[in-house]
Amino acid sequence: MKNQWTNFYTGFVKVKASGIGAERLINGLLRKNISIWDVKRSGEDTVLFCIELKDISTLRAVVRNSDCKVSFIEGRGIPFFTKRALKYSGFLIGLLSFFIIIFMLSNMVWGIEIKGANPETEHAIRKELDKIGVEVGKVQFLIDDVETIQRKLSDNIKAVTWIGVELKGTTFHFQVVEKEQPEEAEKLSPRNLVARKKAVIVGMFVEKGQKQVEISDYVNKGQLLVSGVIGNENNQRVVGAKGKVLGETWYKSTVEVPLKTKFSVFNGDEKVKHYINISGFSLPVWGFKKPEYKQYEVESTTKPFKFWKWELPAAYMSETYRSKEQITRVYTKGQAMAEAKKMAIKDLEKQLPEGAKIIGEKILHAGVDNGKVKLSIHYQVIEDIAVGIPIIQGD
Amino acid sequence: MARKWGQKIKQLMVNTMDLPQDVMMDLPRITIIGQLHIYIENHRGLLAFADNEVRLMLKKGQLLIKGESFVIKTILPEEIMLEGKIDKVFFLDG
Repeated sequence: MKNQWTNFYTGFVKVKASGIGAERLINGLLRKNISIWDVKRSGEDTVLFCIELKDISTLRAVVRNSDCKVSFIEGRGIPFFTKRALKYSGFLIGLLSFFIIIFMLSNMVWGIEIKGANPETEHAIRKELDKIGVEVGKVQFLIDDVETIQRKLSDNIKAVTWIGVELKGTTFHFQVVEKEQPEEAEKLSPRNLVARKKAVIVGMFVEKGQKQVEISDYVNKGQLLVSGVIGNENNQRVVGAKGKVLGETWYKSTVEVPLKTKFSVFNGDEKVKHYINISGFSLPVWGFKKPEYKQYEVESTTKPFKFWKWELPAAYMSETYRSKEQITRVYTKGQAMAEAKKMAIKDLEKQLPEGAKIIGEKILHAGVDNGKVKLSIHYQVIEDIAVGIPIIQGD
Repeated sequence: MARKWGQKIKQLMVNTMDLPQDVMMDLPRITIIGQLHIYIENHRGLLAFADNEVRLMLKKGQLLIKGESFVIKTILPEEIMLEGKIDKVFFLDG
C-alpha cells in the first residue's frame, strides 16, 4: 500500500460526489489508477472522499462520463497552506514587524535624566555623554555599560564629585553630586594658631592676630604661634587669628625596591567575540576562532535583550580576550636606588599638605639585602605649620 | 468447457506444486483484524457502499460485508482497506 504521509506535502482535496452512481465513479477512478482514501457515506446518495491534487484533471474527465455531481469541499496540505499564507501575508508581516519594532524600541535609549546638577554641569554632562555615545535613539548594546559610563563621566567632569548612573528600562538616570565650591571667606571665630608639628620657623605672614614666635625659632607641636588676643592689657580684643607660618620640618622615609620583579602586562593585542546567550547556552555570532594567546584574560559583558518592560531569557554577550605577557624587570643597584628615591618622594608628597616644598634630602642608609635595595632618606620640607584652635572664652 | 479445463489444470498445479492459491487462481485474500479492519486483495470493483454494508465484485461472485460506520481507508484497483465495526462477511455466488 502506498504511504500516505506524502499526501500532506503534495496536497490533497476533499471531494463530495452526489448522485446514484457514486460507486461507479469510484470504480472509474480506480481503473485510471488513482488512489482514493477516506471514503465516507454522508447521506443517502452522497459520498465524501479524498483525492490527490494532481489527479483533479483525471477526476474531471471521469466525472463527465458518469451521472454524478462533484464538488470540492476543501483543500489541505502544503500547497493550499502556502496559498492561504500568501493571502494573509499582510497580517503576518504586520504581526512580525510589530514585534520587531517593539523589540527594537525596547532596546533603545529613550531618555536621559540628570538630577542634582546645576544647568552648567548638566550641559557639561550632556556634552560628555554625546562624546561617549549615550544619546537618545542609540541602541543599548552598542554603548558602554553603566559602570563604564560612570567611570568615564567622573573622570572627565571635574565639577562633579560623584555621579550615579542607573539604567531603568529605556531611560538613563544620572544622580549628580557636585563638588562644593570654595566657600566665601567666612568670618572666623576667635581662635589661635598653633603649630601642627615641631619645626623651625622660616617665614611668617600674619593677617590677623599677635605673633608669638620669631623666624628661626624652634617650635614644638601645639606651641602657640599667633595669638587671637590683641590689644594691650587695658583694651583687649579677641579675633580669629589668620595667617601663614612657614616652618622647616623633617621627615624620614624608608623604601625597599626589589632588584628583580616579575609582573604581567597587557601587550595591547585583543580579540572580541560576540555571542547570543539563550538561557545559559552561548551561540557564537561573530569571532569563532579561539585566540592564540599564550596567556590572556577574558572580560565578558552581558546585556539582556528586552521586550517591552520584560527582560528576555536571551542576552547579548561579548567576550574580550586580552593578551598578557610576563615581564621580568631587572634593576642594577643604581637604577634601583633612583627608583627608590622616586618612590620615596611620591610617598612623601602624599602626606604633605598643599603648597609644601621639599628643599633637601639626605640618604641616611643604603644597602642591598635579600635582593632588595633598602633606602632610608631624610627630607627637609617647608610647609605651613599653622593650624587654628578656637579660643574658649570662659568667665 | 475450455475455461473449466483451465481451472482444473490450475487446481492440479496448485495441489501438486504447492503454489499459493490466491496467486494462481485469482481468489481474494482477506485479512480481518478483530472487528476493526478488513483488508481485501484481488477484488474487481466496488458495487455498493453504505454505512452498514459494502458489496465488492470478485472474479467469481461477490463479497458482502455487513457492519457499522464503514469508512474506506484506502482503495486501489485491486486492494481495499475498510474500517468500521465488522459484523458479517458473506460470499455470494454469482
